[in-house]
Order: sequence, then C-alpha cells, then structure tokens
Amino acid sequence: MDDTKTLNLNVRKDFPILSKKILKKKDLIYFDTAASAQKPNTVIDETNDFYKNHYSNVSRGVHTLSVESTFRYEDARKKVQKFLNARSENEIIFTKSATEGINLVAQTFYEKFMQKGDEVILSLIEHHSNLIPWFFLRDKYGVVLKFANIQPSGEIDIDHFNSLFTNKTKIVSLTHLSNVFGTELNEKAISICKDKNIPILLDGCQSAAHLKIDVQKLGCDFFVFSGHKTYGPAGIGVLYGTENLLSEMPPYQGGGGMIGDVSLEGASYAELPAKYEAGTPPLVEAHGLGIAIDYMNKIGLDNIIEHENEITKYAFNKLNEIDFIEIHGGDNKRNSIISFNVKNVHSHEVSSFLDVEGIAIRAGHHCCQPLMKHLGVNSTARLSFGVYNSLEEVDKFVIALHKCKEFFNK
Amino acid sequence: MNDLINDLYQEIILDHGREPRNFGECEPHNKSADGHNPLCGDNLKLTFLLNDQNIIEDIKFTGEGCAISLASASLMTEKLKGKKIEVAEEIFKDFTNLVSGSDEDLKVLNEEDSLYALKGVGGFPMRVKCATMAWHAFKQALKD
Repeated sequence: MDDTKTLNLNVRKDFPILSKKILKKKDLIYFDTAASAQKPNTVIDETNDFYKNHYSNVSRGVHTLSVESTFRYEDARKKVQKFLNARSENEIIFTKSATEGINLVAQTFYEKFMQKGDEVILSLIEHHSNLIPWFFLRDKYGVVLKFANIQPSGEIDIDHFNSLFTNKTKIVSLTHLSNVFGTELNEKAISICKDKNIPILLDGCQSAAHLKIDVQKLGCDFFVFSGHKTYGPAGIGVLYGTENLLSEMPPYQGGGGMIGDVSLEGASYAELPAKYEAGTPPLVEAHGLGIAIDYMNKIGLDNIIEHENEITKYAFNKLNEIDFIEIHGGDNKRNSIISFNVKNVHSHEVSSFLDVEGIAIRAGHHCCQPLMKHLGVNSTARLSFGVYNSLEEVDKFVIALHKCKEFFNK
Repeated sequence: MNDLINDLYQEIILDHGREPRNFGECEPHNKSADGHNPLCGDNLKLTFLLNDQNIIEDIKFTGEGCAISLASASLMTEKLKGKKIEVAEEIFKDFTNLVSGSDEDLKVLNEEDSLYALKGVGGFPMRVKCATMAWHAFKQALKD
C-alpha cells in the first residue's frame, strides 16, 4: 500500500453484515453504498427494541405505548431537522422514500403553481426518480421539460443551464451529488435560481451521508434523501421544504392523520408536517433513521467525509494508472463514487467476477439511461464508498480487477 | 480460479460473447421482437423467417449486451435455425429450466448441446435475465 495518511475510522465491527463470508470464504468488501448503505448494530438493535418494547401507532391514541411511539417518531424528526439544519420541524416531512418526496413535490407544486405550457428545468445526469415524476407532468398536463447539458467533467454546463430559463420556468430539480460521477452540483446553479426567484429541489440521495448538508446555507427550497442510503432502514425518506411553499401547496395523499376536521361534506387539513403524512407512517423506520443520524454524528460527519475523500482519491489514482480502465467524468473531485469501465469487458462480467472474490460493486445503468446514452455506453461499473471502507480494500479490488481483465482477455 | 466463474464463463460462452454468430438482421423476415433488460439496459432485436411448414428458415439478432446475453442469443439462433416451431417451444422450456438451475426433466436438451454451457448461470441468480433475454424476445415474436 502507498505511504499515504490513513484515517482509520475502525468502524467495521459496528456492521455485523461485514463479517459475512461471501461464498463461505471470501471477506466481504462492500463497494455499493451508493445503492444502499449497510446498517450499524445500533440501528438494527434500536429498531428491534422499538417493536419489542414500545410499538404502537403514532399520534392517535393516548395510552402509554402510543406516547412512546409518538415520542420516538417525533424525536427522529428533530434529529433530521438538525441534520439538515432546517429552520423548523414543520419543514421535515417523512415519506417512504426520496422518490416519494420528489413525486409529492412534482404533483402538489404543479397543482398550486403551474399550468399547461409552464416549464421545469432538469439535467442530463438525473436519476430516473428525478425524471419520471416530471415526465408525468409533461404527459398529463402539457408541462414542458428542459434538460441542462453536462460537460465532459460530468458537471452541469452552467451557461447552458442559465440559458434554459424563460418567463415560463416555474421550478428546477437537480441532483446534489451525481450517483454516476460522484460530482457535487456547482453552487452557481442554486444561486442562479435564487437570482431568478425560481424554487429549486435538490435530490440529496447521494449527498446526505457524504457531504455536510445545511439547507439554509445551500439555499434550496426542497431537499430529499432516503434513510437506507444514510445507514438507516429502507422504507423511510425525508422531504425538506420551506414552510412557505409547503404551507401553500395542497396535500399529496388523503387519509388518516392529515386531517383537521372531517364531515361528510368535506374536510380541513392538518398543519405541517402532518398535512403531508397521510396514513400510518413508517414510524419504526423513522426512528431507525434517527439512530443512523446519531451514529454518523458520533463518528463525526467531518471525519466521515475526510475518510471517504481519502479513499475516493486513492481509488481514483489507482484506477487512473491502469490502461485498461476508462473512468467516466473528468479529473475533478469526486465524493465517494467512481464510475468506470474495463475496456472490452461488459460491466456485468466485471461485477460477477468481483462477486466471487467477495467484492460487491454495482453494474448497470444506475437508473440513468439518458446519461448512459450521452456517454455512449450501455452500462458502467460503479465503486461507491462508505464509512466502513478502507484503502486495503481498494488494493484488493485493484488486484481482482487485473485478474478479471486477464480472465476475459485470455 | 474460482469454479463458479469457470462454470459461468466456459470457453464457448466467451467465444460466442466475443463473436456472436447470426449477428444481423434477417432479410426477408416475418417475425421480430425486441428484447430488453430494464435492470441493466442491455437490448437486442431478433428477426426470423418462419416458412409455411412452420420451420424457422433463418434467424438473426443484433444488439448490445454482456457476454452471457450475447452468447445466449448466439447459441439460441444456432439451435433454433431449421427447427419446427413446436420443437423450438420445447427447447425454450428446457432452456429456461436449465438456467434457473434445474436440469431434471429436460425433454429435448441434453449435455451434448452447446446450450448446456449456460447452465452455470444458475449459480448467479441475478444473471438469469441476461441469459433469457433473447429467448423471451423469441416467445414475444411468436405472439405478435
């Protein structure tokens, strides 16, 4: 291994799944955190404990268990508020996923603020979950979608982005950290929206556990992320929205928990955040997310970021030295994600080969088919790092890649 | 080298993956269908000519994909060319069983068949879709 500074967080022991042997003998090297992060013991134990000792529905009954459940659910909201530095708990809506958060905004923002012919600005590097909800508006209501180009570096072309605005532009929705390139959104994109007074939604699925998030400093109007990519359970997502916008937009789904008063003639709706949380929420998962945030805070987000930056840079340099590897995106800084191809070997082959070596990487289009078309590939292999990864793992991965290349070119 | 990998990538698979046979479009053809794996983006177009005795006179494919999907499509076209439709459908059933990991009760395929080389896919459940993409396109073309 190179003589580089290593910040060993020594947290592998916190993640029970990492002691699993792949095919009964290979140590697991998990390089697929961008798809979903593994869960620390505290999250697993605390969600178990919730079911065993505290479980009931939230915000409905008055008995002891209802109080204990409600306390945990609302405490999780407070933790998320602090995690994002939102102004108020009213700005934190629990959803089942980040995807649901984007659908919620697309539908209700349209209903309140848009009409046929109005425009939404997106970009070429968006995940399908930040494309299809807007496609629905185009298909159902005649909304016009515009897509910012990207530069070879993988960053959004800011000049082109800026040129897309017209007096019909109503909202912008962009990824905060590309799930293919690992590049962070240029802050200029947000300031352009601010200058033009156009709301912007940031898809924070890849940034939430890998960058320090301050929604006030960022100046975004909406921010979504998912629990499972931030070391918490699947089935819980977060939508942050400014109180102004969330108050003006109509409810998304109707049901229990989101009402003020109901008669057969009609209903009034609950105040924020309950207004957007119809039905029994994923309460245990929300609690699990709160515990995951505690876990990240305990290690320190700055430490996590430094650790991941070091591994990412190390892996990038290693891959960059190999002539049969093509890295996607430029030389610019990446956060925890690197997409690449082994020349003349399909990413599926790379992933299956590495799998039997105990190494989990993602292969495919990463839910970014328009971007894949733009790159002229039908799939890529992707490395993504988390708090539990190490430089030694990268070294093992590089050795396995050489074996892989040899195997398929024999 | 790991046995699983050697089973999955037998020489014949790598060979057909690198140089797929019957690659192109059948002209003329009267049956066609697109195959698509939405999980990874692999795709192919299958065309064939079914004559009035219900025999597949010619069959070809184009597309892009991994070694498994290309080899499977290539071996499929080799196997199905000249077969009666009823026989082809039996081969389809056998093949889907084979790559799902069960080679019992096969009716028409046996270990002598080149298609048997794809049995190793059974050890990689997430790759079954790669191996069956061309075959489902074939079934689809018969329906249309």
